[in-house]
Amino acid sequence: MHFTPPSSRRKWRTFATATLALGALVALAGCAAPSAEATSAFTDWDSVVSDAQGQTVNLWMYGGDEQGNSYVDDVLAPAAAAEGVTLNRVPIVDTKDALNRVLTELQAGRTADGSVDLVWVNGDNFRTGSEAGAWLCEWTPLLPNMRNVSATDPLLGSDFGTPVNGCEAPWNKAQFSVAYNSDVVADPPSTVAGILEWAASHPGRFTYPAPPDFTGSAFVRQVLYSVSGGYENVPAAYSAESFDQLTPDLYTALSDVAPSLWRGGDTYPADVDQLNQLYADGQIDMTLTYGPATLTRLVEDGTFPAATKVLSIAEGTLGNASFLAIPANAAHAAGAMVVANLALSVEQQVAKADPTRWGQFTALDVAALTPAERQQFADLPQSTVVPSFEVLSRNANPELSAEWVPAVNEGWRTRIPTR
Amino acid sequence: MLAVLLIVWFALPLVPLALWAFADRWSFPSAIPTVWGVDGLDAAIAAGGPAASGRSFLLGLTVALIATPIGALAARGLVAGWAPLPKILPVLLFAPVAIPPFAAVLGTNVLLLRAHVPPMLGLVVVLVAAAVPYTTFMLRTAYAAHDVGFEEEARTLGASAGQVLWRVHLPLMAPALARAAFLAFLVGWSDYLVTLIVGGGQFVTLPMITASLAAGIGNDSVVAVLSLTAVLPPLILLVLLARTGSHRRP
Repeated sequence: MHFTPPSSRRKWRTFATATLALGALVALAGCAAPSAEATSAFTDWDSVVSDAQGQTVNLWMYGGDEQGNSYVDDVLAPAAAAEGVTLNRVPIVDTKDALNRVLTELQAGRTADGSVDLVWVNGDNFRTGSEAGAWLCEWTPLLPNMRNVSATDPLLGSDFGTPVNGCEAPWNKAQFSVAYNSDVVADPPSTVAGILEWAASHPGRFTYPAPPDFTGSAFVRQVLYSVSGGYENVPAAYSAESFDQLTPDLYTALSDVAPSLWRGGDTYPADVDQLNQLYADGQIDMTLTYGPATLTRLVEDGTFPAATKVLSIAEGTLGNASFLAIPANAAHAAGAMVVANLALSVEQQVAKADPTRWGQFTALDVAALTPAERQQFADLPQSTVVPSFEVLSRNANPELSAEWVPAVNEGWRTRIPTR
Repeated sequence: MLAVLLIVWFALPLVPLALWAFADRWSFPSAIPTVWGVDGLDAAIAAGGPAASGRSFLLGLTVALIATPIGALAARGLVAGWAPLPKILPVLLFAPVAIPPFAAVLGTNVLLLRAHVPPMLGLVVVLVAAAVPYTTFMLRTAYAAHDVGFEEEARTLGASAGQVLWRVHLPLMAPALARAAFLAFLVGWSDYLVTLIVGGGQFVTLPMITASLAAGIGNDSVVAVLSLTAVLPPLILLVLLARTGSHRRP
């Protein structure tokens, strides 16, 4: 007995043909290219709020920071629900995953019903998205809480040299920091040049992630400022002449210190996680971070040594801000704006700045707030590890334009010998 | 001796995982956790572990329920010789495994988006396509060894086609079908790439929260708990399968 009546054979053929035809049709359908720049269709805040009611906003964000996850789930999401918006956090390994999703949807001609409504983003990913026209723009002036933000703050006006242009709303500020184990480092250096000297006199106890890692690359730029005699001497706009004139000293300084680094500079940690792990394991005595907010928890839960402190660097360090961006094809742009506005409220920024909650530095212009609001920030518990933003951001260095970054990284790759 | 070595080989990587799962603190260079506790478990629950595991289980089950009958049909057709294009069909069926998943998934996703296929449907379709090679090739071997004589005998004795399928064919094939379904279940249960890219973040599964937490520092204990959660259900299913399989084999 067989299960093959002739009719099923014919059905199979029909099915196969239909499938092929459908596939061809699908491949031919819709080749709409994304527009150069999408701008918000809304003209007043009330219509945004009424449009947002009942929407579910998908916030795609890096999910490797437990405190960040619980801030969004336990503080921001309930507050959004009170305003009629459901906030759904999508945990991702890398912000690039969100950008790739948006770019794929745009490539497929899905320009109005995208699955990403809000992305926690800055720097390189923001620039890539801007170049591809992937962000909704000119919507941040609509947000009532933008009044809490300084209009002239250079950190918020341009994101690593890319003009923000109302395409993303401020979320946090961050300051490049060097953490060290104060039990071991008896004589903490107070300049970037001092860090390199300390590394040279303590062989094997310092290293940095190999660029193009985000943090490793920031450290190399920090050294570039140092060998150039301060950030004032490095033009923010990239030019080949400035590069040729300024970088030989940078690579000489880094080559000179290389033999004294961890494993004699034969190899470097591939990313900041590996660097942090080396520090956690006591194999090195200093670690680098562009997000000092997480240090408090890492010390409290014993991942990092209890004596971890943040170096005070006389010439200041790089500062940046991170943002919430809405993709050009977001299905729930109005809801996303409500969440972005909420995130800029004093209550949310205070809650997020609490070191026991997350400890992210506020993006608000605290000096311009009412005395009662200022007091809320002043009343926050002080982290035992991380100094306040005022201390940490003293003499803050501006970031170089985004074009500098790949050039400096490539120079490092070709001029610093590794085995 | 070989069995013991094999067990050690498979169990060894799980030892640090099991230790980390109950380590509230494990500071270098201590060989064992310095503070024991269930912080990792609490964090796994806070991160949405139970709901994500439920979704992964549902996804695995759905993929198994669809890919197993398709695999059975394809295997039966290939063995009996009534499948079209007998030379090319096995190659086509195996293609999803042979093509690098990242390239295949990214390309397929553009196609699915263009065709306005809902993300959940697309997710199931792509995972079923990825699971069918396993079910087909597993069942092809089983059907090659299957004696249709039993079914012909039943028909001769007056059983209807439906009765033959339910009372003769399926009981005889059950162990092989269960093994194939297990493989298909694993495809859905453990998938990360397709769930993220095709699923479009609508369906947050266990591998997704595990991977995102593993990307950060200081999460070793929660990642260990989530990883053990990912290992245990397949292990339990495997043991059950081994037992029922040996009982039912005629």
